[in-house]
Amino acid sequence: MRFPSPAYFLRFLLSVGLLILTTAAFLALRGVIDTPLIALLYLLPVGLSTALWGLAPGITCAFCAFLTFNYLFIQPLYTMTVHRPSDLVMLLVFLLVAVVISQLVGRAQMGLAAAREREREATKLYELSTALAGLQDDQSIAAIMAEQIYATFRGEGVEIGLIGDQPVMRKFPEGSSGSSSPPDLSLPIQAARGLMGTIRLWRPALPASPQERRLLQTFASQGALALERARLAQAESRAKVLEESDNLKSAILSSVSHELRTPLSTIKAAATSLRSGEVSWDSSARGELLAAIDDEADHLNLLVGNLLDMSRLESGALKPKRQWNLLSEIIGSVLERMRRQTEAHRLEVEVSEDLPLVPVDYVQMEQVFTNLLSNSLKYAAKGTIIHIHARTTDPVTLLVQVTNQGPHVPDKHLESIFDKFYRVTAAERVSGIGLGLSICKGIVEAHGGKIWAENQPGGFAFDFTLPLTWDGAPPPHPPLETDVA
Amino acid sequence: MSNSPHILVIDDEPQILRALRTILTEKGFRVTTAVRGEEGLTLAAANTPDVVILDLGLPDMDGIEVCSRLREWTPCPIIVLSVRDAEHDKVAALDRGADDYLTKPFGIEELLARVRVALRHSTRTQGAQSQLVKAGPLAIDLAWHTVTRDAEEVKLTATEFKLLAYLAANRGRVLTHRSILTQVWGPADADHTEYLRVYIRQLRMKLEADPQRPEYILTEPGVGYRFLADE
Repeated sequence: MRFPSPAYFLRFLLSVGLLILTTAAFLALRGVIDTPLIALLYLLPVGLSTALWGLAPGITCAFCAFLTFNYLFIQPLYTMTVHRPSDLVMLLVFLLVAVVISQLVGRAQMGLAAAREREREATKLYELSTALAGLQDDQSIAAIMAEQIYATFRGEGVEIGLIGDQPVMRKFPEGSSGSSSPPDLSLPIQAARGLMGTIRLWRPALPASPQERRLLQTFASQGALALERARLAQAESRAKVLEESDNLKSAILSSVSHELRTPLSTIKAAATSLRSGEVSWDSSARGELLAAIDDEADHLNLLVGNLLDMSRLESGALKPKRQWNLLSEIIGSVLERMRRQTEAHRLEVEVSEDLPLVPVDYVQMEQVFTNLLSNSLKYAAKGTIIHIHARTTDPVTLLVQVTNQGPHVPDKHLESIFDKFYRVTAAERVSGIGLGLSICKGIVEAHGGKIWAENQPGGFAFDFTLPLTWDGAPPPHPPLETDVA
Repeated sequence: MSNSPHILVIDDEPQILRALRTILTEKGFRVTTAVRGEEGLTLAAANTPDVVILDLGLPDMDGIEVCSRLREWTPCPIIVLSVRDAEHDKVAALDRGADDYLTKPFGIEELLARVRVALRHSTRTQGAQSQLVKAGPLAIDLAWHTVTRDAEEVKLTATEFKLLAYLAANRGRVLTHRSILTQVWGPADADHTEYLRVYIRQLRMKLEADPQRPEYILTEPGVGYRFLADE
């Protein structure tokens, strides 16, 4: 049994104090007002005490009032004896009425308190279920639960441990690193499919009331529901991804077998003719055959790289490893690598060295430019101009344009050219699996940018944007220096 | 022929081993091959090769692990082979002591160039370091802290020179972002790649004929930089 708190005694003191105050007032008026009226007036502090401080102080006040009234106002004064039968009746009636009033007021008060408590519970539950609605992953559900339980039960700390190898979600006041003692309250999070985790609550100062236990139980079942819903949603999206990747695989197989065979046939033909000895050692044909093998091997490498990126994009594994980069540097290294392929076209690069740094994955951005350039090289006639241009449209956005003088694409196809395996021309005419542009789209969007295509007077353009901030921040400046070595 | 450089190739692909053995032997190197990491380590200890060519994807152990184990006892140059998307592995191998890397598929000229740099570098570390580094019209005097382009002095800031000097002292070799940042700005700034981008741009503007198509300060995508000097 715990010792009642000082606040509890204070309430008794207050009610007795109130009685003493009113008694003092009545004593001053003893000659002026009638004794029955005083009895009636004594009901005031009794009722007030009950209303303000509860049933027990009210009843105490009633008894004290009964005694004081008898002692100070009933003849003979300053004794506890009663001479007149009518006074005795008055005293008894007073006691009865005082006790009945205390009880009525007290009960109403308790009813009100219970209603308030229920309302608080309902509000907290409402808050919890609103916060949990729509959450799809276990960790954020556990975080919300810990947050709400901590706010509702005002303990020293809360821990939500989920089954499986997930980190324990803790909520402790700032500066505290958690408790080493066993929790004061521990509840399982039980779902239809079994135990999903445990709630542990530290609150040594105040034992949990039955209502609080019930509320915590309800919290636990709300959490279990949310967790179960999240698992179902995850399972569903996994199934969807599986189905899509299955479709992708069969599409890849049919497309790849065709596309990979073309460069392979070239390589095979060139290599066998070189081995056969039918091509003379110093003829120009030999050089051309060797160049064909080299080019087609590069082409195969690009195809395989795109296939790999596509499968990563599908599985969500193509996460950009961002760093602050210079766009001109990226474009420079792509052009260097593609020097031979781009020889037949005229390349114009208008990318200022003074552009701000962009937070991108260098290798992925190279892939974007490689794919956009190979696409442009494929469709635009030899000798035409391919133009790369980059500028900032506003302080936080970079716009990159790759323009060629190739044929227009019908407007209805402009969006779908970024879809997987989508090709505007008949498959036989131009080589490619139709993966390059969809990978560009995947990469640009993973960087938080947008990509689109547009017909322009005399040509065709790919445009994409890249954010110039990383988590909302511009690139940090290196320490300034002006001295000369 | 016993004086010709000895190359140990550790790769689990028999076709690659066959091709490399043929080409490198043709070029006058002595070649030993291993298909597993453990085997490679044993062969390296027994034969003390002049250069090790190491594939990072081995069946029995991590190539990066092979790299660190080799570095425990030998300074012999290590060139790692890896694929395009494995920048992280390349950087890890370089930070653990590998000297250079090549991305598969690679041209044989590239491989031979790297082998030559590696051999030159290993003889250089044994002998005295040359103070004057020449690259086309550029001449960098590491002792006197001067840089000239076509015999005209180029004014560099202290940091610019420190960066250029580090690159030039390691000419031909790839240097990771982290190693350059640690060397030039200090360990506390090892992750500030943006400093590097800004200063490399400044250096290229001052030194390269066309900063967009650099000939001497080359970018190694996702890995670092390399300074290309005259042979």
